[in-house]
Amino acid sequence: MKWSGYKNLEEINEHDDAALDLLKRRLALAGALVLCFVLIIFARLWFLQIHKGEEYKNRADNNRVRMSDIVAPRGSILDRAGRELVTNRPSFNVVLVREDSNDVDNLLKKLSSVLDVDISLLWEKIREAGNRPRHIPIRLLEDVDWEILAYVENHNQEFPGIRIETTPSRVYHYGDLAAHVIGYLGEISRNELESRDAAIYQGGDLIGKMGLERLREKDLRGEKGTSYTEVNAMGFEQQLLKDVEPLPGNDIQLTLDAELQKVAEDLMADEEKAGAVVAMEVKTGRMLVLASNPVLPLKQFVGGISHENWNALLNNDKHPLINKVVQAMYPPGSTYKMVTAMAGLATGVIDRDTVLYCPGHYSFGNRRYHCWKRGGHGAVNLKRALSESCDVYFYQVGLRVGVDRLAEYANKFGLGHKSGIELEHEKEGLAPTKEWKMKKQGRKWQDGETLSTAIGQGFNLVTPLQVCLMTATIANGGKQYLPQVIETVTDPDGKVLQQFEPVVVDELKGENGHLAEIQQGMVEVVQGKRGTARTVRIEGLSIGGKTGTAQVVRLAQYKHLKEEDIPYKYRDHAWFTCYAPAEDPEIALTVLVEHGLHGGSAAGSVARAVLEKYFSDRLVSGEEEAGKNNGE
Amino acid sequence: MLRVDRRCFHNFDWILFFFLIAISIMALLNLYSASYPPVLWGMPPYIKQCYLFLMGMLGILFVLSFDYKELHFWNYPFYALIIIFLILVLFAGNSAGGAQRWINLGFFQLQPSEPAKLMLVVSLASYYSRKEVEGGYGLKDMVTPVLLTIIPFLLILKQPDLGTALMLVIIFVTMTVFARLRLQAYLAGILLGGGAAVFAWFYLLKPYQKLRIETLLNPGKDPMGQGYQILQSKIAVGSGGHFGKGYLEGTQGHLHFLPERHTDFAFSVWGEEWGFFGSLFFLGVYFSMLLWGLYAAMTARDRFGVFLAFGVVMLIFWQAVINLLMILGFLPVVGIPLPLVSYGGSSLLTTLLALGILMNVRMRRFQTGLGMDKVSKG
Repeated sequence: MKWSGYKNLEEINEHDDAALDLLKRRLALAGALVLCFVLIIFARLWFLQIHKGEEYKNRADNNRVRMSDIVAPRGSILDRAGRELVTNRPSFNVVLVREDSNDVDNLLKKLSSVLDVDISLLWEKIREAGNRPRHIPIRLLEDVDWEILAYVENHNQEFPGIRIETTPSRVYHYGDLAAHVIGYLGEISRNELESRDAAIYQGGDLIGKMGLERLREKDLRGEKGTSYTEVNAMGFEQQLLKDVEPLPGNDIQLTLDAELQKVAEDLMADEEKAGAVVAMEVKTGRMLVLASNPVLPLKQFVGGISHENWNALLNNDKHPLINKVVQAMYPPGSTYKMVTAMAGLATGVIDRDTVLYCPGHYSFGNRRYHCWKRGGHGAVNLKRALSESCDVYFYQVGLRVGVDRLAEYANKFGLGHKSGIELEHEKEGLAPTKEWKMKKQGRKWQDGETLSTAIGQGFNLVTPLQVCLMTATIANGGKQYLPQVIETVTDPDGKVLQQFEPVVVDELKGENGHLAEIQQGMVEVVQGKRGTARTVRIEGLSIGGKTGTAQVVRLAQYKHLKEEDIPYKYRDHAWFTCYAPAEDPEIALTVLVEHGLHGGSAAGSVARAVLEKYFSDRLVSGEEEAGKNNGE
Repeated sequence: MLRVDRRCFHNFDWILFFFLIAISIMALLNLYSASYPPVLWGMPPYIKQCYLFLMGMLGILFVLSFDYKELHFWNYPFYALIIIFLILVLFAGNSAGGAQRWINLGFFQLQPSEPAKLMLVVSLASYYSRKEVEGGYGLKDMVTPVLLTIIPFLLILKQPDLGTALMLVIIFVTMTVFARLRLQAYLAGILLGGGAAVFAWFYLLKPYQKLRIETLLNPGKDPMGQGYQILQSKIAVGSGGHFGKGYLEGTQGHLHFLPERHTDFAFSVWGEEWGFFGSLFFLGVYFSMLLWGLYAAMTARDRFGVFLAFGVVMLIFWQAVINLLMILGFLPVVGIPLPLVSYGGSSLLTTLLALGILMNVRMRRFQTGLGMDKVSKG
């Protein structure tokens, strides 16, 4: 206990009573000091609360400095060429500050009659605000026109508590283009409010509800600013004292090509087709087109979608709410034959010269499995089997390979599992195996089911994105890229926060050689004399592709009908998937038309238009050259 | 085991305890109002403060378990520990509003500058209680107390936390004057102190700290910054009038006009809601407790007891006075809490421990001559 300066406790006990008394006498002085300050404080309280009480009461009621949020402009969304898809414009809202209005009842009556709006709607807004602090403005009318704006501003003396608030609002420069990818904003819900950072969000804020607006909320939202304003008893702003400016959100540049996307969406819409168009850069994984038709009417969502509009979307039998690129699954139909071919070549059960005979049907067990061509294709090799889509050829290949091997190669092509694209609710699809069936249905796999699996029917399910990924993997020699939609994320100072980098997810090793043979077959589909997609052919461009027809139902009652007479919802889906240029592939493109009947015609025409647009520069010059040559 | 004599329980100061409980209840009620309307997320401040209050009560029990005389021994290790924390906070502290003040202890965010105040009181009490110098202390005797003060002072100034740093100086001056100096020592002290203040103004103070002092002299200069806080506080208190706007009815506080309304400006909320008479009542109870504390010092059995009790009372007193004068617009905004009332765990725990020491002194007022060990054995 050296540090204390004492050796032990006893030493401390020596004390001097006289000195202690002297010390204690000084405590009285301390008491006097305390009382002295108490008096000063009481006097000050009297001065503030009694003497000047009325004055401060008025100041509390009249002159208040109010802090309010300034909404940050959301980040813009651009396409790959820097074209603005979504930006902001100022919108004017009529808001009510309850605290500044003595008589909300009368105020609303007056407002509803002057502006001709339903008073129950106004009350509904106030009810929704619930027990939010009374000084926080409630939006009564959003995005009002100039007429209302001018009226309210000019008559503000008559509407105490009513103010005009300016907030940034979304502008969609390309209309509903890529609506499913971009998504929309909505007022923050109670659940979202509770689960998110309270320092950032409060009631009434807009928040991304779907698509990239939701997924990239953090990037896009920016930081709110604060405005200090002096307001008087009537709620009128007296004076702006200080503004802390908000920080705009980060801009997002997409990999999408707006012009290309537009061609795809417009054509689908013009021909009243429902379905999906997907295009991807073969050697990077950049998504160029992600179209799902019918498109989502984004404008209806600005300021909250109405009940009727929502129900109309929900009950539409073309399902506009679903992003068919990743959220809808279809049987792949004949586009699956590339998988069967790859499995056959890689396992060695066939080679390019293996010839199988197609009499128009194949008997297996006690059943007859038909080829789509009733008369049969005769002797076919792989190239012909692909180009003419001979079912009987692939029945036999499938049988020899077995369903589990088929699934293995389907997986290698990107089928049967999520791609990992930055879009919501992506579906996995299904590449069936024996184990899967046992687990799911508790029944043994029937070999007959292998036959339908081999031609892309049966249990098989894929998303349009997966078919596009498969096509790209075939075209680029076996690399499976991660499909990505974002090129760059840039902050308001122009600093790049995120930059696109290609990511290889999987790669075929040692089996790449077989891809060349499949490619040849796919080129024959378009360029060959008897190919199923000859109509897609474009002068000056070599294309590799594959058509597909996905059976929806096969009902005896429709067998005798002409295709056009089958009810819409029972018609087959039409697939077309392709890549170009065949010599050095750049783009993979997949089109699915729901209930479109035939791949070559319904889906092929859309693909052709998109390819023409994509290659327009090169094709035009080619045609001009051809014209010149003719002229000479 | 707790070595508590039966006489100690007998001599426990129930009056002081009653004051403490009364003030704490009013403070918690006020805190509930200050953090009203309740937020949907996280633990509301008044619940947290309740837990800390219970923790502090356990702390008081602990402090009562040993004779305050043993603080002579524990004084320097405790001092060293706090200094280590103050150094740590400069390197590893959590910052808020540009100042590094907190250390994360996992279960608790400690602000070591709060216990540093109490530590200084105990250290100086231990030093000054050793001897009464005839005619007062000379300059030579002042080396140790000045060093004891200046080390934590500089560390806290570095954070930067001017208010708390100055609090240490005020504690030093109060306790030193109470211990009495010779005339030339006073003169030298005034000269040195004045010189240091001038030097500090030109070389040490950060611009925002100067602004605070200037704002006090001329509140119109910066209406949105410091002036804004003081003005809003004055409007809140002033608009309370005779009887206040009623509990939970204060508009200035609830409408977010009043900044930091549950920490440094907690009393503004009380003033607004309970008015002049409510404020008189609250402050009446509050300062009665302090005066009772001085009476406790008067009845202490030895010099150490007197210095400890006096130091603790003055520690709470000066913080309360500075906080109230700030709220009422007499002093600049310096970030001194109102002990027991302002929200903040470090301050509350420190204050409760300080009151525990006061209770200890009072409880053992009749034990003379013998250390605790002997008493409990005999």
